[in-house]
Amino acid sequence: MLDFMFVTFAVLTVFGALTMVFHRSIVHSVFALVAALFGVAGLYWTLGADFLGATQILLYVGGVTVLLLFAVMLTTRETTRVSLARNALMAPIVGWLGVTLWQAYTGVSSVLAGAGAGAPTADPEPTTAAIGTALLERDAYLLPFEAVSVLLLVVLVGAVVVARRRQEPAS
Amino acid sequence: MTEELGVIVQPAAAAGLAGSLSSYLIVSATLFLAGLAAILTRRNVLYVLMGVELILNAANLNFVAFGRFGGYGLDGQLTAIFVVLLAAAEAAIALAIVLRIFHDFGSIDVTRTDSLRD
Repeated sequence: MLDFMFVTFAVLTVFGALTMVFHRSIVHSVFALVAALFGVAGLYWTLGADFLGATQILLYVGGVTVLLLFAVMLTTRETTRVSLARNALMAPIVGWLGVTLWQAYTGVSSVLAGAGAGAPTADPEPTTAAIGTALLERDAYLLPFEAVSVLLLVVLVGAVVVARRRQEPAS
Repeated sequence: MTEELGVIVQPAAAAGLAGSLSSYLIVSATLFLAGLAAILTRRNVLYVLMGVELILNAANLNFVAFGRFGGYGLDGQLTAIFVVLLAAAEAAIALAIVLRIFHDFGSIDVTRTDSLRD
C-alpha cells in the first residue's frame, strides 16, 4: 500500500515538474507546478510527515501558486517559448550535475547503509502535537519560530512597499 | 535486528520502494534538476521563480527523508516547515518585485532587466 502511494505521488511529482519545465504555455506550467507540489505533499505523507504535508498543501498549493497565477495574469502577454540555443548550451550542464548528484547520492546511501540507518523502525505516528511542542520549547525551535514571525511581518510590509506605485512629484 | 551507533537496523529485504532512502533521493534529484533546467533555460522571471520553488521542494524532500531514515526524529520535518514558510515569504516578495519590474521595464524578460535605477 505504501509502495503504491509512493509510486503514485512520485510519478505525479516528476511528471508535473517536467511538464512545468517544458510546456510552452506558462499557465499550463503553473498548474503542472501545482501537481508537482501536491505530489511532494503526498511523498511527505508516505514519509510519515502528516503535518508537513498539510502545510505544504495549504501554503504551496493554496498560497504560492495563487500568487504565481496572479503574477502570470498581470504580466505575461505572450507565450514564451523555450529558447533552443540556450537549451543546447545548458543541457550538458544539467546532465553533468545529474551525474554528479547521482554519484553523491549513491555514496551517501552506502554510507548511511553502512552506518546502520536503514528502514524506519516503526509505523509513523501523528506528528502535530510533537511539532507544536518543539516549536514552543525554549531549547528547541522557539527562537527560529519567533524570528520567522518577525520576518513575515517584514515581508508583509515590504511587499506592499515594493509593489506600490510611486507617487509622481507634482510638477 | 541489531543495534549499531544507536540506530536500530532492520534487514534491507523488508524495505520496499517506499521504505528505502534512495528512491526518495532519486525523486528529489529529479525535482532539483527540473528546477535547475527551468532557471537556466527560461527567460521569463516567473519560470525562474517556479524553478526556485522546485529546488526548495527537492531540498525539503531530502530533509524529511533523511530525518526519517536517518533516525533524527522530527528535526528534518521542522527544518522543512521553516523552509516552506520562507518560500512563501519569498514568493510574496518576488511577486511584488516582478510587478515592479513589469511596470518599469515593460517586460519580465530576465535578460532585459539590466539597470537598478531609472
